[in-house]
Amino acid sequence: MTVVGRAWNRLTLPGKLVFTIVPFLLVGAIVVIALVVIFGQLVLDILAANLPIVRFAVAATAVLLMSVPTAFLIIYMEMKVIALMNLRVGPDRVGPYGSLLSVVHGLKVLMKEDFTPTGADRIVFTLAPVVVYLASVMSLLVIPFAPGLFGQDLNVGLLYFFAVGGLSVVGLLMAGWSSFNKYSLLGGLRSAAQIISYEIQLTLSVVGVLILAGTMSLNQIVLHQSGSFLDWFAFKQPLGLLIFFIAATAEANRTPFDLTEADSEIVAGFATEYSGMRFGFFFFAEYVNVFIMSALLVTLFFGGWTAPFDWPWPVHVDLNPGALGVGLLFLLALAPLVGTIVLAAPFWIARSSMPTWQALIIGFVLFNLLVGLGVFALAFLGWEWVVGLFWFLGKTYAFVFTFVWMRGTLPRVRIDQLMGFAWKWLLPASLLNLFVTAGAIVALGR
Amino acid sequence: MTAIWYVVGFAFAGVSFVFLTIGFAWLISHRNRGDIHKGLPYESGIDTYGDTHARFGLSFYIYALLFVAFDIEVVFIYLWAIAFRDLLLGGFVSMLIFVAILLLGLAYAWRKGVLTWR
Repeated sequence: MTVVGRAWNRLTLPGKLVFTIVPFLLVGAIVVIALVVIFGQLVLDILAANLPIVRFAVAATAVLLMSVPTAFLIIYMEMKVIALMNLRVGPDRVGPYGSLLSVVHGLKVLMKEDFTPTGADRIVFTLAPVVVYLASVMSLLVIPFAPGLFGQDLNVGLLYFFAVGGLSVVGLLMAGWSSFNKYSLLGGLRSAAQIISYEIQLTLSVVGVLILAGTMSLNQIVLHQSGSFLDWFAFKQPLGLLIFFIAATAEANRTPFDLTEADSEIVAGFATEYSGMRFGFFFFAEYVNVFIMSALLVTLFFGGWTAPFDWPWPVHVDLNPGALGVGLLFLLALAPLVGTIVLAAPFWIARSSMPTWQALIIGFVLFNLLVGLGVFALAFLGWEWVVGLFWFLGKTYAFVFTFVWMRGTLPRVRIDQLMGFAWKWLLPASLLNLFVTAGAIVALGR
Repeated sequence: MTAIWYVVGFAFAGVSFVFLTIGFAWLISHRNRGDIHKGLPYESGIDTYGDTHARFGLSFYIYALLFVAFDIEVVFIYLWAIAFRDLLLGGFVSMLIFVAILLLGLAYAWRKGVLTWR
């Protein structure tokens, strides 16, 4: 055996992996550089000629990939917030304050066995989670996250949103029917009945907003509410907001309307026979739905990405990093070093029991936090879309928190109460809201 | 007309994302055929009894019928709401009549006791 062979055998598995992958990466990088040098200008020209399509491709990819971390974050919020409400500690092992637990759950689901029961209709059984996930993710396409930051500004945005969201009923029925299980069948039918009953109230409650805004494009609706927070439709449509909130809770299958997953009655409802990644997509779709419903609530009634008040001190950021010349290089090289040592010094001096390396790590983390905050502050003052994203995500997660809060507080309703409430109370109330809004516009003449 | 192609493209991207993930999970996950009991439907531990696609309540069907009626109504109301600034009083009265006819149907269903879950 040669020297190389012996050295290879002494390596651990990760070491072998690294030594296998690195040559491939090197070759790949060289090929990519060569391709860029040869074809770069050509590709750039083609991309510049098709700018709207490129913009859409980037936005669509971002929106699609955004759905996964969003689901992880909301799952973590649910675990931690409900734990704290129950006076428990909740997840605290994986990552800081257990914040990586939902990611680990996701990886676990990815590696679990994906089993199809003997009696199941294989094709429909596999397609059902695809339909459910697609129904929730496709709604993200029209949501305006910030000025100029959206997938596509459809002029029938709101109608598209409800049309695509309604597709999830088909997926749930497919899952319930194809599972070949009584619990699944009952769960699927229950979810379908619940979702179609509340779909009408959900769609009717926003008609007041449509009359006031005169458009179905979500971007235009947000622009109609710009100004101070008194321009938000929440203050012009309080009844519509209330109906929308209740119907959205039912639509996203959240407590107190979570009969579809009433585990004490029908095991896991339509998802009883599902396992592995196909179950994972049902799970993701549920939490993406929570985000989407909160986002739509914020967009329609709470001004979307508009700030509730104007920034009181107008600032004009006018930085030109190029003016520093060579000084910029020195700044980039020395600032982290000096910053880390300066921030580490108080810890190193004050606590003699702390090893030097720990103090240095703390200093480095603090420095990064400070720089991050500084960059964010600069961007917040200078860039419109950072401000918009900040306010939009802030408001949206406030409502996500409200949904979680309700789960920690309210008991589940009975199914006869659920259906009766939708048809006997919410439907007349939403029609009343519609006619009061329309009548007010006729009476006031504007 | 181009907007519909954006939607179709996004749907295609979403479907491929889901199928790629499921395919990747299928590649790395553990698989075992198991014995005959593994493929049986889960019914809280006992063997399944009777027809699995059992009979279920008629109320599901009636709710679906009601839903179709009111959901079509919503499509009309949306268009009416967008154009309401131009219609004003005439639009208000005509929509009142339109909804009154539908509410008649709802009242009939209510009187028949369909809306009460049994």
